[in-house]
Amino acid sequence: MTERVINLKGFFEEARAGRLTGIRCGRCGALAIPPKEFCDQCQQRDWKPVPLAGTGTIVSHTVIRVAPRGRGGEVPYAVAVVRLDEGVSLLGRVVDIPFETLKGGLPVRFRPLELEYQTLIGFGPA
Amino acid sequence: MRRVAVIGAGITKFGKHDRTSAELFAEAAAEAIMDADIAPNAIQALYFGNVTGGETERQLHMAPLAATLLGLPSVPTTRFENACATSHVAFRHAVMEIASGVSDVILVGGAERVLNVPTENATEFFAYCSDASIEQPAGLTFPGVFALIARAHMDKYGTTEEQMAHVAVKNHRHGTMNPKAQFRKEITLDTVLKSAYVADPLKLFDCCPFTDGGAAIVLASEEVARRHRRPIWVLGTHAATDTMFVHEKRDLSRVTATERAAQGAYRQAGKTPADVNVVELHDCFTIAEIVATEGLGFFEPGTGGLAAEKGWTSLGGRLPVNPSGGLKAKGHPIGATGAAQIAEIVTQLRGEAGPRQVEGASTGLTHTLGGNTATVLVSLFGRD
Repeated sequence: MTERVINLKGFFEEARAGRLTGIRCGRCGALAIPPKEFCDQCQQRDWKPVPLAGTGTIVSHTVIRVAPRGRGGEVPYAVAVVRLDEGVSLLGRVVDIPFETLKGGLPVRFRPLELEYQTLIGFGPA
Repeated sequence: MRRVAVIGAGITKFGKHDRTSAELFAEAAAEAIMDADIAPNAIQALYFGNVTGGETERQLHMAPLAATLLGLPSVPTTRFENACATSHVAFRHAVMEIASGVSDVILVGGAERVLNVPTENATEFFAYCSDASIEQPAGLTFPGVFALIARAHMDKYGTTEEQMAHVAVKNHRHGTMNPKAQFRKEITLDTVLKSAYVADPLKLFDCCPFTDGGAAIVLASEEVARRHRRPIWVLGTHAATDTMFVHEKRDLSRVTATERAAQGAYRQAGKTPADVNVVELHDCFTIAEIVATEGLGFFEPGTGGLAAEKGWTSLGGRLPVNPSGGLKAKGHPIGATGAAQIAEIVTQLRGEAGPRQVEGASTGLTHTLGGNTATVLVSLFGRD
């Protein structure tokens, strides 16, 4: 049995320091965002952490104009699914890019965003 | 496995209520039991759905409370929660309990009450149905999830905001014919297209409302149902799950769980999409209806928008979708929705839907989606 290589807490601690971390399956090479126990491709439990460059392109995006309670001061804000260059995707807040220029295929770069007590995944200009 | 039938259905008026979720469910359940024409104590179990009671009413353990208010304090109860698919999940499990021979008569349904809290609170509670580690901190809302799907569908197939608006106009028109619907007014394409953006490209009128309401159905084994005057048979029911993470969806323009749930339900029922005469599907957002009509096999991928625009899914069209008004106009009390959709199909297959009746409908389908497209159920129903 393998040790769990990275948990959610570890993923966000790394992210806070500006390092995006993925996990790669030692059997089939599938890449995922942690945490995961089994590989959904080959059913093995053999993950190794891999650093991700943090660069990628927008897959789909939206501009949120009605926010949940406590987040009203943040609207409008953009959220996107980004396909990272290594081939795995991640969802995050998009900052410092004009809304009207957001589109599929636009290059972006990961950056951690601090919001009160929590870290959230952000993406800014590449 | 034994055959299972729906022998009774009941729903409350959908909209704003000043009664609790448990009361709303009890009212719908009493109507369903009267409709089934059985003694209340013939009920052997309650499968109950509610999502946000802990947040909106400070009320958990709601299933036995609902049974108590119904006057059946000793039936075994279970509470289900799978976001907006909640009471369809409850339904499938009740079908299995009867099919397996454990019980002969089960009451299934759910209720939700959210209009007693401000919209921003309801938005927050619904967002709890998405992942709390990455998605909620990013500020993703449910309109946001379906906006990402809409953008992907538009980019891939050229689907337009106007085609999405056609879904809203059609479902509001259908809602005018449903006395239980929350909204009973026609709207125009302009109403939708000129409404404010909630999460681009989705506007206010692309979104279903927040709703209070309850729905219930009575399920029975074949032996019991045969003594009933108009049983509607469960031909198939299938559940499928997909990753909770929006970033892990293989193709944002599709809901793969819908496709898998549909394939399972069709196989179990021995039916194909061409056999279906009437559909109640999960139009939480207009784009959700377009993607669902494709995933359920009614239209080719990428042509769901065209189907809405051409009126193929309207009453009188080639395949009427959401004759009840759907979640969009009938309303969406999330814990009750799955059961409410089944109640509509039962009404349609009995031929009792009045002005919104799909003439001669003999096979119907319900489709309910929960959360970030992670939970989907599809069930098929028939007159025989």
